[in-house]
Amino acid sequence: MNMKMKKWIAIFAAIFLVCIGAFALLRHFGMQGTVAVIRVDGEVYEKINLDTVTVAYDMEIRTEFGYNKIHIEPGSISVTDADCRDHICIRQGTVAEAGVPIVCLPHRLTIEIEGGYIDA
Amino acid sequence: MPKTRKLTLMAMLTALSLIVFVIEAQIPAPVPIPGVKLGIANMITLVAMLVLGRREAGLILLVRIILGSVFAGGVSALLFSIAGGALAYAVMCLTLKSFPEKMLWAVSILGAAAHNAGQLAVAIALTKTAGLLVYAPVLIASAIVTGAFTGLGAMYLTRAVKRLDKRA
Repeated sequence: MNMKMKKWIAIFAAIFLVCIGAFALLRHFGMQGTVAVIRVDGEVYEKINLDTVTVAYDMEIRTEFGYNKIHIEPGSISVTDADCRDHICIRQGTVAEAGVPIVCLPHRLTIEIEGGYIDA
Repeated sequence: MPKTRKLTLMAMLTALSLIVFVIEAQIPAPVPIPGVKLGIANMITLVAMLVLGRREAGLILLVRIILGSVFAGGVSALLFSIAGGALAYAVMCLTLKSFPEKMLWAVSILGAAAHNAGQLAVAIALTKTAGLLVYAPVLIASAIVTGAFTGLGAMYLTRAVKRLDKRA
């Protein structure tokens, strides 16, 4: 194996490790946040202050892009049902902190937790 | 390469890339991260670049993207495909000559990373959710793995196609 090959293997391996590490950090040390912002096609659909939720409830979002069922609990939010093809939004699980947003790309839906203010 | 032979090979590669693209779209995502996929169809783009040339590879890619969105995906997916495909194509064209044939996997990784960057940009633009940027590191990491895999595949496939061509 020549030097150039070794050099590039090392470069890509290093970038890989840094990226995995960065994502793990982002995921486990989310920032404080209480307001879940649900967006469909770039427009804010709903803002929910998760700190004021006392009883868990479901919300159904039906748009021209498709159907998603959002489950809202005190302090956290998740997608529990959807008619999209890959169900990645459901498998992303429950989020409680700002950091990694839930996304359903086929339905152009995102759920992102932002800081403890509502600027609607 | 005679004209008819070239046309036939281009048609075959287009059909092949469309088939793998449609089949890959049916495979459930291994990880719940949007945008992570193998990108086997990119193998064909690389093979076409090496066997036929950049222009021909670009044409094959264009036809595959348009037909691919007809058979799997739809208009929304077309936008993602075009952004990812065009960026990957541009980056691979620019870097192809900088690496020896043995290091095609590096070209493929750079192409995969460009593809994912393009798709992430479209996703952020469409959803207006800047927070999606946190997916950037994991998409780069996935591009390194999938790009290396498809790049190696493309290298062996190119060798096989060139051998066939010599025999004919």
